[in-house]
This record gives sequence, C-alpha cells and structure tokens, in this order.
Amino acid sequence: MRVQRVSGDLGDPAASGWSAVEGESVALVPVPLDAQPTEYIRVKWAGLTYGNVKEANVAAATDGAHLYVRLEWADSETPNGEFADAAAVYFPSAGDAPAATIGSAGAPANLWYWQANLADAKSLVASGPGVFRPRGSNGVGASSSNEGGRWAVVLSGDLADAKSGGKLGVAVWDGSNEERAGIGAVTASWITLETE
Amino acid sequence: MTQVMQPETGPQGQVAMVIDLNKCMGCQTCSVACKVLWTREEGEEHQWWMTVNTQPGKGAPKDWETMGGGLRDGKPVAGHQPTRAEFGGGWDFNYQEVFYGGKGNKTHLHPIDHGDGNTEWGMNWDEDQGAGEWPNAYYFYLPRLCNHCTRPVCAEACPTGAMYKRREDGIVLRNEDACQGFRFCAEACPYKKIYFNYVKNVSQHCIMCFPRLEEGVAPACARQCPGRLMFVGSLDDKDGPLHKLVNEWGVALPLHPEYGTGANIFYVPPLAPYKLNDDMSIDYETPRIPPEYLESLFGPKVHQALATIQGELDKVRGGGTSEILETLIVYKWLDLFGPFTADPAQLDRKPESVAARFTQKPS
Repeated sequence: MRVQRVSGDLGDPAASGWSAVEGESVALVPVPLDAQPTEYIRVKWAGLTYGNVKEANVAAATDGAHLYVRLEWADSETPNGEFADAAAVYFPSAGDAPAATIGSAGAPANLWYWQANLADAKSLVASGPGVFRPRGSNGVGASSSNEGGRWAVVLSGDLADAKSGGKLGVAVWDGSNEERAGIGAVTASWITLETE
Repeated sequence: MTQVMQPETGPQGQVAMVIDLNKCMGCQTCSVACKVLWTREEGEEHQWWMTVNTQPGKGAPKDWETMGGGLRDGKPVAGHQPTRAEFGGGWDFNYQEVFYGGKGNKTHLHPIDHGDGNTEWGMNWDEDQGAGEWPNAYYFYLPRLCNHCTRPVCAEACPTGAMYKRREDGIVLRNEDACQGFRFCAEACPYKKIYFNYVKNVSQHCIMCFPRLEEGVAPACARQCPGRLMFVGSLDDKDGPLHKLVNEWGVALPLHPEYGTGANIFYVPPLAPYKLNDDMSIDYETPRIPPEYLESLFGPKVHQALATIQGELDKVRGGGTSEILETLIVYKWLDLFGPFTADPAQLDRKPESVAARFTQKPS
C-alpha cells in the first residue's frame, strides 16, 4: 500500500487531504480461537461467531512526520449497550511479529487503538490477541464519523512506527457482537507500506 | 500467553473473613461504609463492592446465580457479563422538579427513568421479601463482597495481565492502568462481584481495603459492622478464630463451593426457628428455613455445620461451656480483627509519614 505524501488536512475522515488518496479494500478474518490467550476466552467463544466485519477500506497518507490511516467499514448498527465498536492499526515492532494474532509474546506489535465510546485513542503494545499493555504517551490520535451505516476512522501517530517494520495490520471489533480483545477481525497477513 | 496466577501466599497467609449470618440484621452499614470509602466517583454510582441481600432472593446483580462463570472439573465455565441494568441503582432523582420546579404538590421524588432499565433493579431491591407464607415466612441476610478466591478465575480470564493475586496476603487486585475494560473477568467471576466503570473504561472490585490492612486496620465493612459478626484475619493462623471456625470446627462455609474457585469469605449458616403448625403449635421437627435451600447456597456440609452449632447451644443450655459459641459471641469487639486492630483515627496521617509507609510495597 502506498503511503502518499499529502500537504492538506488529514485529521478527520472527511478532511480535504483524503480526496487525493486512493484506498484499498482489505479482507479481514477472525483471530483463530486457539490463539486466544486465556482458557476462559477459548471456552466462552467456542462455537460462537466472531470477526463479523469481513472487509475494510484502508488508505494511508503522511505529512512527513505522522502517519494517517483511514479505515472505513460497514457498521452492524445493532449496539448492545455494553460494548462499543473499535478498530486499530498495528505495526511489527520486532521483525517476525505475526499479523494474524496481533503480535506474539516474543515479537510484539505497536497498536494504535480507537474505541467508539472513548474520548482518546490509545497507544498499546500487543503481544498477542488482546494481550495489550499501555505503551505510554506516543501521540496517537483518532477521529471518527458514522454516516450512512458506515464507520470512518482516522488513526494517526508517529511515522517512525510505520517505517520501522514497513508493514501494517488492521483490526476491527463489532461491539454489538461483544467483540473485544482477541475476539475480532484482523488482516491475516501484513500489508506492506511504501512510504513516499 | 498470559501467565496463570498461582495461588501462592506469603508470610501472612490468605487473608479471609468469616461472616456470622445468625447475627446479621441487614442494616447495610457495611455496604455504606464501603460505598463512602471507595465508590463515590463518577462511573461508580452503581457500584457496591459490599452488598447485603435478603435470601431467598434474586440478589445483586439480578439473578446473579444464573449467570455462569467459575470452574467445573477445574475448567472455566462460560459466563454472562452483568449489564448496567442488571446491577441497577445509581439513579438520578427528579430533585429539580420537586424542589425547584413548582411541582412539589403534583409529583413525588422518584428515580428518573433514562430508558436503560437502570431503575428496575438495585443492590437491595428485593429486601425483606424472602419466601414462605405466614406464619412460616422466612428470610435472612447475606452480605457479599469479592471472595478473593484461592483460584481467581477473573485473573485467569484476563488477557492483559492487569489482575493478580497478591502473594503476601492472597488479595486479588487489579492494575487499573493496565486494565483495558475487556470485562472477561466479570464474565468469569461466578459471584458477579466485578463492576464496570463506564467513565474510566475499567473494571473494578473490592480490594479488601488493602491500604487499611497494610496499616493494621480492618476493612471498613468489618470495622463498621455494629453486629460484631465479621471476622478478619489469616486463614493460616492456626490459633486464630478463622482457622478454627472454618477448618477445625467446620461451622463456617464458603458460598456456592460448587463454583470451584476456593472462596475465602466464609459464612456461619443461619439457624432457623421451628415451623408453626396451623394451630400455632410448634413443629419441633422442621426448621423454618428449608435445609435444602441452605444446601443450595453452602453445599452439603451445611447440615453438619448447623448440627454442630445446635449441639453447642444445647450443651450451653444444659450448663456446659462452648468454645465455638464463646468465639461467635465476640465479647470483645477487637477479637474480630486478628492482626488488624489498629484504630484509623490514631494513625499518623502526616503526608510524609503516609508516604514513608507506602514506599516499597511489593505487588
């Protein structure tokens, strides 16, 4: 995926800068049940359907210092009141970090995390599906809109995160299905980034 | 993979409680003591880490005993995460309308229904309803808090490692900075004593007043209880009342032992008055609280526990003495609190003194 250099505003999903950036359709698959980090989660979700969001449109751009990733997907629109929709982009912080499980114990990923009901985006270290720990303040930001049954979210952060591995993963959680942590949909393999 | 917590305890052993249900009068002083101390912030309105419910009843959250979680044959059981509506409570009231809106004579004070079901249940909603028909109606009170289980399924379920069982005293705690609000802990807890803070986006639960314990002060619920019925101490202290009541005499039992998590809050089950016949004569063969109901709460050992206490009562009434009853009577209030008898009012509260006491605490 090309990370286009853009001089215009990229800070929200409707910002003018995105008009010149081509998005790609990316397939998402459920994180495997046997990769879930605790026995409780494996027992609870055995036989249940998750990873409801099958596809997202992904676009990436940079202003030279920050990476902006715009995600868009069809919202199930059936909120259950307890869990919110969420999305993230993640980057390998070690060379062999797996994409399908959002990193692993020995090979973590840096995760930029947005959740519909939270004011601020989170910067996390992911050592597996849902094995998320705070990374400290890394200037990760998010802006979102929900129109016509579709979520559009822009996640932004330090371009260095993207450049270190040159690869990007995407995760989406359907809150109405109580999806969270490792129970969600992800890119099964990394998306290679070509930064301008 | 996250690390599974090991039920290891250190020098103090497992901190535990024994709650004597024969003395609980349902006054909710424990609930309020906890509420005032720990859950007064925004997002904690519905949180009552200590609750007292009338049994039989649906409890709090509503119908919690049907929500799953815990262990069966050592394996986790899928559970339901209680909703905000199932906890209920934490209401806004129409103060403005009644006191300032000029409608004081036309309306009454009531919780405002925001359409989320929160006004249809609360922490003691079915108080004093109980069961049975006059003249054999019956009920008793059941105070409940986190059981600080020997095998904390909440911590085992958590993918982030935010929860842990403290080695020095077995208290189950949470690092709120690491908690991501995923709530597998609340699903996995069979006692449904984990609450969600919708403002902070973290789960929260009873911390056994660990900052008080660290200064030798008993938890607020136990110290404020006017009924002298909550024992606090180490279960491993062979000379202490907890070990004797639980392990030696077998008169204090965990709630729902079939949940398999090794609860460390124990209950002295309630003796019941005898049933009355239709002609108001006493049926000396039948206790008013059905023994099978008590067995459904405390397991089959409840029958022996009740027989032991009744036997001790009979012994004393016959002129004998009973160490069990002497212990349960609690002639001296501070005998309840084992090593935690310090008076919080007498502690040195100077900021530098507090800071010195709280440095280098292991976790």
